[in-house]
Amino acid sequence: MQIHPPTGATSTPPASLAPTPAVLAGRRIGILDNRKPNAGLLLARLAERLAARTGAEVTLVQTKNAAIPCEDQVLGRLVEEVELVLTGTAD
Amino acid sequence: MIVDRAGSPTDLLEVDDDADLIEVLASLGWGDGLPVVAPTPERVEAMLAGCSGHDPEEVVATLPPRFGQATRLAIAVNAVMAGCLPDHLPVLVSAVRALAHTDLNLRGVNATTHCVAPLLVVHGEVVRSAGYHGGLGAFGPGSRANATTGRALRLILLHVAGATPGDGDASTQGGPAKYGFCVAENLEASPWTGYAASVGVDAPSAVTIHCGEAPHNVHDMESSDPTGILDKVASAMATTAQNNACISQGEYLVALCPEHAATCADAGWSRGDVASYLFQRARLPVGELKQAFGHRAWAPWMQALQDGDAAPMTGHPDNIRIMVVGGAGRHSSVIPSWGMTRSVTIPIEP
Repeated sequence: MQIHPPTGATSTPPASLAPTPAVLAGRRIGILDNRKPNAGLLLARLAERLAARTGAEVTLVQTKNAAIPCEDQVLGRLVEEVELVLTGTAD
Repeated sequence: MIVDRAGSPTDLLEVDDDADLIEVLASLGWGDGLPVVAPTPERVEAMLAGCSGHDPEEVVATLPPRFGQATRLAIAVNAVMAGCLPDHLPVLVSAVRALAHTDLNLRGVNATTHCVAPLLVVHGEVVRSAGYHGGLGAFGPGSRANATTGRALRLILLHVAGATPGDGDASTQGGPAKYGFCVAENLEASPWTGYAASVGVDAPSAVTIHCGEAPHNVHDMESSDPTGILDKVASAMATTAQNNACISQGEYLVALCPEHAATCADAGWSRGDVASYLFQRARLPVGELKQAFGHRAWAPWMQALQDGDAAPMTGHPDNIRIMVVGGAGRHSSVIPSWGMTRSVTIPIEP
């Protein structure tokens, strides 16, 4: 018996990740907090540790709401101010 | 057994005739756990007759998080699997189109830890012509059109959108509405104009997608005036145990039974009057809401309210959507939305 697969083809992803830098020392790092209840806690601690260990300049930025895509103005600020963005979510 | 796993619906898979199709699909990460109808080329071609004259390969919508392309062919394959008839295909195609509307925020709906599921409501002439049911027990089993179209929409979300639990769907507990959630508006028993027309969609047939929880019952056998009924509806709306409580754009779909709707209409109340009354009555103290939610996606005017003020459960009466569903008896239901989503109503077009 032959059957059709139910999945449908996929579109090209809208964006791809930039290459990861080998060394963080001296980099400008952005921490993107999506405002989930514990995301700020987790990411703020991560920012502290990163700054202490690498000497990187760390900027903490919040999105408006975790349920919607990050606002263009926040992404624009990150593009201008940092070289690397770390993000995560934590309920 | 499977000899090849292809991604496109045009690439056929070879399956042993005596294979257990549920198991074969499960081995590929497909299916909803229930038996399916094998989507053979003959059945899929017969299903596509429901959209005759339209290109099966045309992309109706691209669905996140997988960014799968929902062509009419892919939609028809899932419709066959769910047990739909060709008459249901235009409804399903339109529902997929609605799912992809920006206002609906499907990426968030699929990815959230909340139990939200898209409710498909069918309006207009197609209710009768294709066998959809909005009368007694409408949210329950018994209608092939409701059951299979709702299930097909979920299969499309699983297969095309990639909303598989643990991968593209992070829902903590899931929910029964995620198996299939489709109902018809009972326009024949409604004292008001059709819901689609009330939101500006003037078409013979239409679909609405409202992304929300499973229906919460409101029982009122006692009241002979609108306020008694609607105070109970407001009570079901005014709770911190739902997403809308901290999101002012959140919508409520209030599905009034015909008898409750008649009590309101007989007293001279329009659909807008019902929504305005619920907006006024479904409230909680601001202090209680602030204590319950550290972060509130409220409109600025709601953020400015004082702790002792009574805050409405949504930011505007228009966010309270009223339609008539069900049969004899005096039970209505409230379906709170997920919050960061807007319902979408569009004409049915194949």
